[in-house]
Order: sequence, then structure tokens, then C-alpha cells
Amino acid sequence: MNQAEIRKLIPAVRVAINAKHRKFSNPKGPEGRLTMLRKTVTELVKLERVELNYQRGDEARGYAERLIAMAIKHGDRHIPTMEMANYWLTEKQLVHKLFKVLAVRYKDHTESYTKLHKAPNIYPGFYRERVVLELKGNPFPPLEKKNSSHNWIHNILLEEAHQDYIRKKLKEGERSN
Amino acid sequence: MSCYYTGLARSDLKPPVASRSRRIKRCRCKCYGHPKTVMVMAVVAAAALRSSSTRLSRLLPGVCGEAWGHQARRGAVLRVLPFIPTQDPDVIKKMPEDFRAVYPEFLPGPKPEYRNRLREKLERQDMLARRSVMPIPEFYVGSIMAVTVADPNASGKNNRFVGICIQRGDAGLRAWFILRNVVDHQGVEIKYEMYSPLLQSIEVLRLEKRLDDELLYLRDALPIYSTFPLDMEPEVMQEGAPVPVNPIKVQLKPRPWHERWERKNLQGVMDLGLPERFYKKAKLHEKPWEKYDLMKEYRATIPEEEQADIFREISPHYPLMESTRRRGKRKRVLPSIS
Repeated sequence: MNQAEIRKLIPAVRVAINAKHRKFSNPKGPEGRLTMLRKTVTELVKLERVELNYQRGDEARGYAERLIAMAIKHGDRHIPTMEMANYWLTEKQLVHKLFKVLAVRYKDHTESYTKLHKAPNIYPGFYRERVVLELKGNPFPPLEKKNSSHNWIHNILLEEAHQDYIRKKLKEGERSN
Repeated sequence: MSCYYTGLARSDLKPPVASRSRRIKRCRCKCYGHPKTVMVMAVVAAAALRSSSTRLSRLLPGVCGEAWGHQARRGAVLRVLPFIPTQDPDVIKKMPEDFRAVYPEFLPGPKPEYRNRLREKLERQDMLARRSVMPIPEFYVGSIMAVTVADPNASGKNNRFVGICIQRGDAGLRAWFILRNVVDHQGVEIKYEMYSPLLQSIEVLRLEKRLDDELLYLRDALPIYSTFPLDMEPEVMQEGAPVPVNPIKVQLKPRPWHERWERKNLQGVMDLGLPERFYKKAKLHEKPWEKYDLMKEYRATIPEEEQADIFREISPHYPLMESTRRRGKRKRVLPSIS
């Protein structure tokens, strides 16, 4: 039966997610998978920037986004949110950080709370797609530099041509008046 | 490489190799596999986007949903992109709290592989058109309803059945519910598709909810719990009152049952009275970590913003739907004695 659950209203996750969950074969099965992702989410909240394999990072990203969205929406007086934070963050001072620091930081954000960058390969060795998962607004220097095309020669010339066109139009307007 | 069935070009299909299995690689965009359907959908898509400059050849592969910007593929894996509203969000239309409970079939099924925004939009239009012809009342699992269907072989050409709604499912035009009753000591269940043109009328004789979302355990319960008179009259309903929850606890017949009810965490059944080993085994099958699985929960729902978007889309018709719903409830109120 393809029918949506209507008991809870959940805000949209602002990142791209896989249609199906990743199984992550684990000796303990699905419980072990959640334990592994729990460790990743805890590390992310603690360190604010972690380097992982792509599959684990992408999966943990969804959980991190949902956890932060819940903390922002409900606050720390809401019991189910507290229980969820208690489960996902194994170090208890991070629960305080989630509600007092991260929820406040991302209160007015309209985009995602995390960013996933591609990381360089670990060479030599079997190719593993590496990523860096970080919380936005972290205190570290940025990983990617913004390549602004504002000062490129053709953009400067185009900008000037545009200004010339506007001046010409204004002059014509004054003349007709 | 092109799909064997539809002829659509697909980059992720590989050419058949002698060493590989001879199974024909089918187009995984789930485009029903029939060229005619694909052509019809392509024409519809083209008509819908005639004003845009998108070429038809680029539309064809995406007719099944991928071109609409909601899905992407990373290799062979389907990605669901962040939600983008289709309606103007500046138009303030607050979604009512009970919208998703009263009209659950307007929300699409959550599985991304089966989703197609255009199809959902067209279905919602068709659903509203059908509702204007045959009003569908508010009902829940546990409500007692009477449905008349057109039947060419019945006397009077109509067939009326009264029963308790034990399950309701699917979304869009495929939405259905199952009514159960015991007629001449024989349990009878009928599945009705809500938007089928064969349905002449749906009346709710008793509007109530139960403690469970599905009452499939009534199959294993004593027949008295599923028996309702076929000539039952619609019952009184207080105007403006919330939908009552029937806290009845049903008694099940002795085992064997259709399902292992001790593992289902049912609220609406009496103590099952099973030996201890059943409950021990049930405990081994429990998954207490599932309630913390945020993404599993998310993938089974339609997000809040999307529900609000859908409501905004149908909001011009909402006052009519609500007045029909209230009129249906009001009919059953007894005239006051003065």
C-alpha cells in the first residue's frame, strides 16, 4: 500500500537524499547501522567538520538535518525531541550544544544546515569516494574558495556596454521630453 | 542504448553481451512499458509545456518524472531533490489541521520511484471533479458505512452494502477502502475504489474512529464485532463535535489466526491470553530502534511544505468540499424538541 503516513507533520529536508536507505551491511543488522550513523552524527555535532566516505556521509547528512530541524521546530522542552537528541547524540553535553548553539545559529536559515564537499582521494589504495561533511557557520576556514567572475575582462566590458546603453536611453528620454 | 519495450534512449542500459544473462534490460523509468501509453503521456506533457522552449525529445525520457526537477540520478541510484513549491507561497493559505486526516487520498504515495508530479496534479483535478458529482463523506477506519454500486445484474440495477471500514489505502484516484460485515453467518469483505464511476453513493451511518489504524483483526474476532444490520439507519451526530473514538476492546477467537496479533501491538483487542512463549518470541521480533530512525519516518511521509503546497492548489475547491462535509453531518442531527 503506497500511502503516506499522516500522524506526524515533518518539515522537508533541504538536501538531496536517496530514494531508498543504504543498508550498510553490519553484523548487528539495522540496529548496528543506526549505531554507526549515530556515531557519525555525534562526531559531526562535536567537531562540526568530519571527513568520511561518501556513502556514510550522505546517509548521516539526512539524519543530521532532520535532528537539527526538529530541535529548531520544537525546542528543548518537547519530550520526543529530547528523547531523539538523547539517542542520536551519545555525549550528553552535545545535547546542550544542539539546542543552545546550533538551533540558535540555524533559526532563520532557509537552506540546508550542512554542506558536503568532495575530498581528495587517499592514494595509494582502493578508491574510496571521500567527502567532508560540515555544519554551516563553523569556525574553521572555508574549504572551497569562491571563484568570482566579476573581474574577468569580458564581464567588465559587458558591464560597461550595459552602462553605456542605459546612459544612451536616458539621453534619448531627456531629448524627447 | 534503448529500452526494448519503449524504445526510449537510456544511458544506464548496457548492450546485451554473450556472457551476461539473456534477460532483456527493461527501462527502469517505470513508464508502463507500453509504447502507446508513453506516446499519450508525451502528448500530454507536450501540451502542458507548449509555452516553454523545452524540446519534446528532451521531455520524452523524463515523462515519468525525472525531467520535472524533483528527481535525479546519481549513476543508477534515484535521488530525491529538495522540495520546490509549485504554488505561490506568498499567497497566505493556512492548511487546516485536519486536512490530511479528512482527505488523506489527496496526498500522494511517498515512494519516490512511483511519483509523477504531473500525474498527481491531473489526478487531483479528476478527484475534485468526481467529488462535485458524487460527494465522498469524511470517514475513518472504524466507521460504519453504506455503499451503493451500479450493478447491471442486480434487481434495481443497484447493489447496497453496509459494513465497517476495516482498512483504507492508496492515494489519488486509486484510493480504496474495505467494508466488512457478517451476512447469514458468513463474513463478507468488499473493497471499494472511492473514485470509481460505478459507485452511486457513499453514506456514513456511524462516524467514529477506533484505537487502531487497521481493523484486520476483526477477521479473527468473534462475529458479533463485525455484524451490522443491513438496514441500519444513519446515526445522530452532534454538529461541530470532534470525531468520537470508540475505545472498544474486541475479543478474538482462539488460535489459529490470520496473523500473529501478539506481535502487532494492537490497542483495540482484549488480552489475548496466549502462553508466555508467544510473548517472548514477539519480543525478539521487536525493533525498538525504529522509532529513532528519522529518515525511515521521513521517507514514509509527505513533508509539511508539500502538503501545504497541495492544499494551496486545491484551496479554490476547499470551501465547497467543507460545506458538503458539514451538510452530510448536519443531516443526521435530530430536530430539537421545543
